[in-house]
Amino acid sequence: MSHSSTLTAPTRWASVINAPVVAALQHPWVESIVRLSAVEDTMSALHPMLSLTEVRARVIRVVDETASTKTFVLQPNALWQGAQAGQFVRVRVQIDGRWVERVYSLSSKPAARRIAITVKRQDRGLVSQHLHAQVKVGDVLTISQADGEFALPVQLPEKMLLLSAGSGITPVMAMLRDLQARKYQGDVIFMHVCRSPDDLIFAKRLATIAAEFSQLSLRVHFDETAGRFSPQVLVAAVPDLAERSTWMCGPGPLMDAVHQYWESESLAVPLFSVRFVGAPLLPATAPGTPVEIVCATSGKTFTTQGAEPLLVQAERAGLSPKHGCRIGICRSCQCVKKSGTVQNLQTGEVSSAPNELIRLCISSARSDVALDI
Amino acid sequence: MSFAQPTTLSREQIAEFEREVDAIRASVMNNLGQADVDHIRNMIRISRASEIGGRALLHFGLGPVSWVAGVVALANAKILDNMEIGHNVMHGQYDWTGDPSLNSQKFEWDIACDGEQWRHSHNVMHHTYTNILGKDRDLGYSLLRMTDEQKWKPRHWFQPLANLMLAMGFQYGVGSHDLEIGRYKHGAMPKEEFKARLDRFLTKVGKVWFKDYLLFPALALWSAPRVLAGNFLANLIRNLWTYVIIFCGHFTEGVAIYREEDTRNETRGDWYIRQLSGSSNLEGGRFFHIMSGHLSHQIEHHLFPDMPAHRYTEVAPQIQALCRKYGLFYNTGSLFKQYLTVMKRILTHTLPPKRIAA
Repeated sequence: MSHSSTLTAPTRWASVINAPVVAALQHPWVESIVRLSAVEDTMSALHPMLSLTEVRARVIRVVDETASTKTFVLQPNALWQGAQAGQFVRVRVQIDGRWVERVYSLSSKPAARRIAITVKRQDRGLVSQHLHAQVKVGDVLTISQADGEFALPVQLPEKMLLLSAGSGITPVMAMLRDLQARKYQGDVIFMHVCRSPDDLIFAKRLATIAAEFSQLSLRVHFDETAGRFSPQVLVAAVPDLAERSTWMCGPGPLMDAVHQYWESESLAVPLFSVRFVGAPLLPATAPGTPVEIVCATSGKTFTTQGAEPLLVQAERAGLSPKHGCRIGICRSCQCVKKSGTVQNLQTGEVSSAPNELIRLCISSARSDVALDI
Repeated sequence: MSFAQPTTLSREQIAEFEREVDAIRASVMNNLGQADVDHIRNMIRISRASEIGGRALLHFGLGPVSWVAGVVALANAKILDNMEIGHNVMHGQYDWTGDPSLNSQKFEWDIACDGEQWRHSHNVMHHTYTNILGKDRDLGYSLLRMTDEQKWKPRHWFQPLANLMLAMGFQYGVGSHDLEIGRYKHGAMPKEEFKARLDRFLTKVGKVWFKDYLLFPALALWSAPRVLAGNFLANLIRNLWTYVIIFCGHFTEGVAIYREEDTRNETRGDWYIRQLSGSSNLEGGRFFHIMSGHLSHQIEHHLFPDMPAHRYTEVAPQIQALCRKYGLFYNTGSLFKQYLTVMKRILTHTLPPKRIAA
């Protein structure tokens, strides 16, 4: 294909130039003369897409998929290294001074020059509401490189099922587009579950692909008219389920039910799934409930209970996190809480936001917690 | 000054005071947003533009007027970088933004003091043990005798001179502060640790010297002496200014000093009262507050070290009102007046204490 060479050329050029420049700028003796953040700020002032360290992506088009779902077609800068079908990106936006990050699956074809994320507006979703209300064509977003294990293999099986429900259609849509682009010769069923035709994301696109791609058999299940979806409904719709390697994305309860079915029937074909916790709200456990603390950097894990500060509990478990004043002033013990719910012992505030900075000396765990220490 | 008198407030009053101060804190901290980010970003932009402008004038300018302008611009950049930006960012005032370039634990500044060592000597030691004799090493910087409670030694005869030297080389005073040379000399710090701290300090000094006294003068070719002298003067101005502001924060007349035994088991309310009586403010306009990194609001800064500093002007009247209500001394005055009392203390404590007849 002629355009694929022009597609990869800037990427290679960028990574060849970029890596040594960033490494040089991060050298402590260079950094004391000119800070990388100053270079970055200057570059983005010159042009919002320019960056040495971040993938920036311009919004090319906004498509209304359903009443509550929009697709943002993005043109990434030269740092973008491409994606595999099924992977996601982390989108970082600044909302009222705070940088917030959410994960969105790519729905675009992996080799595409332009990428797309499809965002369902959540009732209490800070980022999804911001994207829906504020982001217009021409705006520039900051995204991560593509990430995630949920992807199609190089060697494709003979028979496949792509199963999705609700907004879980996005990574599976990328897989379907990939299959079409790879001229897949096997047999693929794409089964999607949603409430009603009004809630069907990518309706037009699916119809087009179904018309062009003869290997595909498309099935859509509307809960509203056909009744609640269950594994039994799935078996009825896909009688040869036991022969189909399956990739699945949808709400947790639905995926749990399918996993259970797979186990109870001892199906030999693999079932791959991916879960997205929109804004993970781990309910705070009552103080005193045993919780598990995972320390990602040191690789240590300990179980603890009680409302004592995490710093004290970690020390009792044999760890020695960096600390200073121990009363919440100096921030020496500040670290990233990757997930979980903690309570600030000074203000009483309970928070569940992922990748949040917390001070160990004044935070107590109210659920299982993963820390970057 | 002298040791703080035992407070006349009851335990209930102190608990109530704590609640009221907490409420003032919460009113601001629950209301942080884009305006705070815009403020610090603006400061960063001004500081950078001022540095570029200053260095350009020193390098390419002709004649003394452009040299003076270059020095002023560069000094302004360094003062902003150290005071309103560096000091405040390293306190964690902007950690809530989630912006990696404003992360307190990673920030590094343009001064001969290593950021990590500063975070220890300042954030940990000074802000936790403020004005506790023997624990707060900012009390006279282990160099000056600021209170009768510090033992007089013959070297204190040279105190006025030592003060002048500290003022002129303030960045080295601040930079070497965390070495805790005294502790090492008394055998209280292992040699390896001292060596590691010394290496860190000297590396940072090496970096700032390389930049200001080698690289930029060399880049200026035949203008090297002009650039060298300009950089030196800009650093000197920054040193003197930061010294004056910081000395007025805790060494003025009327600031209380504490004994370690009196501060054991202190509640958050007690801690607030110690921070309040151990600090003093400077009066001035918005420009003055910014140039001092809002350390002119030293009292508010010590009560709320991680509140974005430009908000101190907003909470100051509320703290002042609380002080009136509880009969606490709110120490404030003009820079001139406050610094005079600092000099008075330095000079008085130069002299050995008079023997009081038994």
